[in-house]
Amino acid sequence: MTETNIIEMTGVEKRFGTFTAVSDLSLSLREGEFFSLLGPSGCGKTTALRMIAGFQEPTDGRVTIDGQDMQGIAANKRPTNMVFQSYAIFPHLDVGDNVAYGLRNRGLKKAEIENRVSEALEMVELGGLQRRRANELSGGQRQRVALARALVMRPKVLLLDEPLSALDKKLREQMQFEMRRLQRNLGITFVMVTHDQYEAMTMSDRIGVMFDGKLVQVDSPETLYAKPCNREVASFIGEMNFLPAQVSARQENSLTVTTTCFENLKIETNPNVRQGYGDILVGIRPEQIEIAAKQPDGYDATFRGDVVNVAFYGENVHYHVRVEGLDRPVSASVPNYFHMVDFREGDSVWLGVQSASVIDLGENEPS
Amino acid sequence: MKLAFGLQTYAFFYLGFLYLPVLFLPLFSFNDGTIVAFPIKGWTLEWYRQLGSQDTLIQALVNSLLVGAVSAMLSTAMGLFAARAYVRYRFRGKRISEGLVMLPLVVPGIIVASSMLVLFISMGLKPSLTAVILGHTFLALPFAVAIMKSAFDDFDVSLEEAALDLGSTVLETFRRVTLPIVAPGIVSSLLVTFTVSFDEFVLAFFLSGNEPTLPVYIWSQIRFPAKLPNTLALGSLLLLASVLLLVIAEFFRRRSSKSLV
Repeated sequence: MTETNIIEMTGVEKRFGTFTAVSDLSLSLREGEFFSLLGPSGCGKTTALRMIAGFQEPTDGRVTIDGQDMQGIAANKRPTNMVFQSYAIFPHLDVGDNVAYGLRNRGLKKAEIENRVSEALEMVELGGLQRRRANELSGGQRQRVALARALVMRPKVLLLDEPLSALDKKLREQMQFEMRRLQRNLGITFVMVTHDQYEAMTMSDRIGVMFDGKLVQVDSPETLYAKPCNREVASFIGEMNFLPAQVSARQENSLTVTTTCFENLKIETNPNVRQGYGDILVGIRPEQIEIAAKQPDGYDATFRGDVVNVAFYGENVHYHVRVEGLDRPVSASVPNYFHMVDFREGDSVWLGVQSASVIDLGENEPS
Repeated sequence: MKLAFGLQTYAFFYLGFLYLPVLFLPLFSFNDGTIVAFPIKGWTLEWYRQLGSQDTLIQALVNSLLVGAVSAMLSTAMGLFAARAYVRYRFRGKRISEGLVMLPLVVPGIIVASSMLVLFISMGLKPSLTAVILGHTFLALPFAVAIMKSAFDDFDVSLEEAALDLGSTVLETFRRVTLPIVAPGIVSSLLVTFTVSFDEFVLAFFLSGNEPTLPVYIWSQIRFPAKLPNTLALGSLLLLASVLLLVIAEFFRRRSSKSLV
């Protein structure tokens, strides 16, 4: 991966009447990376993507692609191509003509068009289906045609608008790996919009999280999960137990905190949150909490609770444990090692956490 | 069940009331006698055979076909663009505009006809086939707009965006993507608007001057009792043609909404 930025968005804003869809968005995308814009529906991520594609002009700010200012440049003149949420396969054309559509606009020679079309179809594992009609395709095949139709143009950036949301779960997981493989092999920058955190995490090099038209955090999936910048991001990506905490001491890279569950635990400061002076919020991922019948050894903090709910997911079991002094039960998730559910509702249990699992989420603002 | 039976009887009589008179038309057109009354004297195709040799009738038919074809094309072309705008965009005055386009459906024909006559004459346009074409275009427009709107309702906007994204200009997108996809709707609209014009009497009567369309010609013939069976035969043929055209139009309209799943 080189260090050049293929897309630069600087102070981009988009207003529709009085509604601000995207505000002050600044973002640099590296050449050859798989980038996802993640957020709940209506957060402005699709509008941001459409401003890169050229379907929408920013009200304010600048978008440059490959060093070129895109202001006033229409979608058909931009070095980007898009895979639409509905796939937008032309229903009156067969697969071959769909994929050849853009190449014909470029006035290439017939033989070259045919070569590139069959190459593109091979790439998405639809080789030889040129003459298949659009209405004879399954959902997965349509998705592949849409990919081939965009990739055959050899764009500098491929834009994907919720590309997997129309597929069922199994197919979706398979396509996640395939798209990832394609992106790696081609080295083209992919920008994907999705509301599915797992999709974003499994496929992307970096993820930008958006809420209410604002880009909140841009990081690798691992960093987003381990060091979210605030409570919103922490609860949107994965599950999280939140605990209000008092800070008794602040050191260079650590804090000493006390919560209802543990006292004077020294935890790492989170570089992604703004450090303040008051009480903070800490978070613990459910899978990093140990649950046991007796007080477990080797944990930095242990505390007691009562199981109030057991949810069996197959690959793991979620226990909701009521802890004295907390409004909401603590959620602990345990892998299903031996096909056994160890605890039942009403059982009295011990919980254990390591200090490294306790995430500093910054000042505790009322949510 | 009792209620259902009552409703069935009602529906039966209702349909009879609507369509029985229409069915008398073809029935008597085969009657071997000039008086339209039961009992039927015998069966003949004579009245149909005579139609071919009447020059004024052929001229009226040609007039009607011309007027129908031109006003179908005009109203469909306008309906196509209007419908795309209504379905795609939000703009000031959209609802008023949509209402106005549909107005010819409810304004009494006689009022439209007399005011158009006055308007055209004041503009220096004498009663002629051109005047009839303009009148029929106006009358057929609501049908064209309604049919094209249903064609655009099922049209995924991202199809046009995809074409732009793949390098087409706005015009190319319209020609290579929009038009082919709404083509069944266009065919359906052409057929329906043609039928609307082909069957129309009041406007044509006021505006056609001395170039009668077929319905105006039929009306002029009804005054001659001896020619009544001819008129019945002609009317039956028109009926058949209209029904056929509308069935074909409906076929295309359904195809247009099916092809876009």
